[in-house]
Amino acid sequence: MIPELHVGWVLFAGAIGLIAIGVGGLLMSRDLFRVVLALAITEAGANLLLVLSGYRFDAIAPIVTNEVGGVMVDPVPQAMVLTAIVIGVGVQALALGLVLRIYRAYGSIDVAEVRRRMDDDIAAEAGLPLPSGREKPAVHS
Amino acid sequence: MNAIVLPVVLPLLAAFLLPSLARIWSSAARVLGPVLMLVSLCVLWTTWGEHPTPFVVALGGFQPPMGIAFHVDSVAMLFAFLVAGGALLMWPAWTDDDTMPRLAALTLLLVAAATGLALSGDLFNVYVFYELLSVASFGLVSARRTGAAFAAGFRYLVISGFGSVLALLGIALIYLRTGTLNIAHLGQLAPESLADPFGLAAFALLLLGFGVKAELFPVNTWVPEVYAGSSARVAGLLAGVVSKLAVLVVVRMLVVVFPHDETRMLLLILGVVGVLSGELAAWSAKDMRRMLAFSSIGQLGMIFIAFSIPGEAGWVAGLALVLHHLVVKSGLFLIADRWGGALQSLTGAARVSPFTAGLFVLFALSLIGVPPLPGFWAKLQLVIGLVENGNGVYLGALLVFLAATVIEANYLFRLAVAMYAEGASSTVTAPSGGNRIGAAIFAAVLVAAVFLLNPLSEAIDDLAVVGNDATGYMDSLAGGAR
Amino acid sequence: MRKAAALLFTLGLLFLLSVMFLRFELGQAPMRIGKDILAAAPEQVGAANIVTSVVLGYRGLDTLGEIAILFTAATATGLILSGLGGGQRRDPEGGFILRHGADLVFPFLMLVGMYIVVHGHLTPGGGFQGGVVLAAAFFLPLLARPSRAVSHSALGWIEGLAGASFIVIGLWALTLDQAFMTPWLHQGVLGELFSAGTLPLLYLALGLKVGAELASLLAHLAEVEASE
Repeated sequence: MIPELHVGWVLFAGAIGLIAIGVGGLLMSRDLFRVVLALAITEAGANLLLVLSGYRFDAIAPIVTNEVGGVMVDPVPQAMVLTAIVIGVGVQALALGLVLRIYRAYGSIDVAEVRRRMDDDIAAEAGLPLPSGREKPAVHS
Repeated sequence: MNAIVLPVVLPLLAAFLLPSLARIWSSAARVLGPVLMLVSLCVLWTTWGEHPTPFVVALGGFQPPMGIAFHVDSVAMLFAFLVAGGALLMWPAWTDDDTMPRLAALTLLLVAAATGLALSGDLFNVYVFYELLSVASFGLVSARRTGAAFAAGFRYLVISGFGSVLALLGIALIYLRTGTLNIAHLGQLAPESLADPFGLAAFALLLLGFGVKAELFPVNTWVPEVYAGSSARVAGLLAGVVSKLAVLVVVRMLVVVFPHDETRMLLLILGVVGVLSGELAAWSAKDMRRMLAFSSIGQLGMIFIAFSIPGEAGWVAGLALVLHHLVVKSGLFLIADRWGGALQSLTGAARVSPFTAGLFVLFALSLIGVPPLPGFWAKLQLVIGLVENGNGVYLGALLVFLAATVIEANYLFRLAVAMYAEGASSTVTAPSGGNRIGAAIFAAVLVAAVFLLNPLSEAIDDLAVVGNDATGYMDSLAGGAR
Repeated sequence: MRKAAALLFTLGLLFLLSVMFLRFELGQAPMRIGKDILAAAPEQVGAANIVTSVVLGYRGLDTLGEIAILFTAATATGLILSGLGGGQRRDPEGGFILRHGADLVFPFLMLVGMYIVVHGHLTPGGGFQGGVVLAAAFFLPLLARPSRAVSHSALGWIEGLAGASFIVIGLWALTLDQAFMTPWLHQGVLGELFSAGTLPLLYLALGLKVGAELASLLAHLAEVEASE
């Protein structure tokens, strides 16, 4: 016998799992593009959790129709999630633009390499010896 | 009274049209922004004169727990003034190339979001404005278009995005428990539904989420490279003005919704760690930009310590430190525009520009807290608050605070003395005229505060009473929106 | 070492979140303001789709903030990608089927997008969903014919004017001595196309703005990518 599994629990597990996967990806990725993807996954998990915070198993979508309806779900989290999703899209687009420019500037999207080059550039601009020990920051067209 | 939305909405309207408008009217980008800041200041001034605070504006005409409301009290008004005034003095979009319209639009969006944060009385609306603030600042930070600016902007975006997810989780948790989003309504429901470990967890999530902009300890690793990689005016705006709005949001939630010992302790501990780590890092910094960035982490830690003190004493100290840091750090970042490089290159800089060096010394003395400058008074309020509170943890925080002040004095004096060193000639050039004038205005405000200390301290006392009055905040909801 | 710490942190977070959210009675949301809104919305706002009443009525300011964020992201992306010497894209032209298929689908995508936008207050859908379909309609020909240039100034005017009209509709309420964003047109009959006061107008502005914004974002990214 397969124990009865409620769809709500599956959704909750999915939301929390997405957040965990995303956070793990954020911490462990060595590639900037993967960092962006991990951020997107984390946001998806948080959005799913938010929409579930107003969910009722026994209720219908909050749209008034001619048919006799039952109880409706809470419309507020749905509106909030709509907002949060669009915010996420904007942030991800900007992040991709930045990744493109970083690749153009440094020729690499490796997290450690970009970090080192950034520190070098900042030190060079301030007129300090470079932290990486190089003579001058490597130039990339 | 409905006109209070104008300082939020008009900058948005202008920003939407600006990039296109600048194609047919090229000086639009130059004129529109500063003019709008002046208009905002006028609107705020007349609204404040006509209507006794606090009042609530129900946006869309829907009564507050259902709809979004602006909760306007004198603290919110103060912060709205600071945003418009600070943006006017540090307007970052003065370049002459084709990026100016976009820069001006981003600055307008930043201002609209910051004003919205000050006025909004709805948790999710606060989140939306906070995100708008974040995205606008990512754009401004990367606007220098160097590799370092892009990389710093990207790191900022990722940390900030992670913080937003945490804040969103906190909001989901709060909504699951209470089923409402209005902050005053949450305050009324909090004793029965949020005064438990879940409430504490929700507060911790919100704290980490909104703490990113407030340079709170574990989520502030973006600070040094962002302030070093972006233009000095943007850094000044972020450190001086934007961070204070995030502090206001966190403190509002603390006072109205989560007034518990545990939450205060959490804020206190994170503040203490911030002070220690920030000041130590500033002490070992080798260039002025990053020294200022780390010192601002330390100063914001002090502000968090102040607000963690229960009662009005905490608010007095917190507001005094907020105002003081806003004036001083903004002025210092304006100076750092040309003087931001290695500290060694500043040896003998007083000969290049005695005026700028004098301003630096003035700001530095106030930052350390040398009487009679206002910084002394602000730090004194913090010491009084900590001592009056008496118990062990706060006394420990006092010790850390005093040690941090010694460190602060050491690195700032070291630099000031070097600037006036005999016989050395510095390679730096004098800061541009606009920056010198801006820094001079901030210095004038600082000196004026010395002479106006009495009325100023009375005003801060009044503001502290309003800020600390959680029941007053909640009652304005019960009184109904006008 | 760093990986192990990251893994540990992730597992800890997973555990904490599970414990936290498993303690709640799932599917029994308290719905404190939700119930009030469900009861009052058909009367107060007059939109059959109550989520739309929330998005444009009760939480209209959030929606303004959200289109502002999308605009900010598009502006910032334009700012950081400008000066990259975009130039002509060098992707090969699409084949016969792709090009003519794109032309064929274009009017239908426009129709579907506009339908979703205009019926946002009656059916599931609305400005965002429809706006995304509109953006796809404009972006599809671009994929089929990479050499075709996008008119960024036209897109800029569309998004600017659409956003401005959203705000002006909201500000108009101030002249009637109402708060910002108060619906001021006649409510009409629940469930008809011309109902719900200013909401359909707001959704129209929103749909155009979102469509133009996403199209220009995609075009910016595509131009840079092609000029590698």
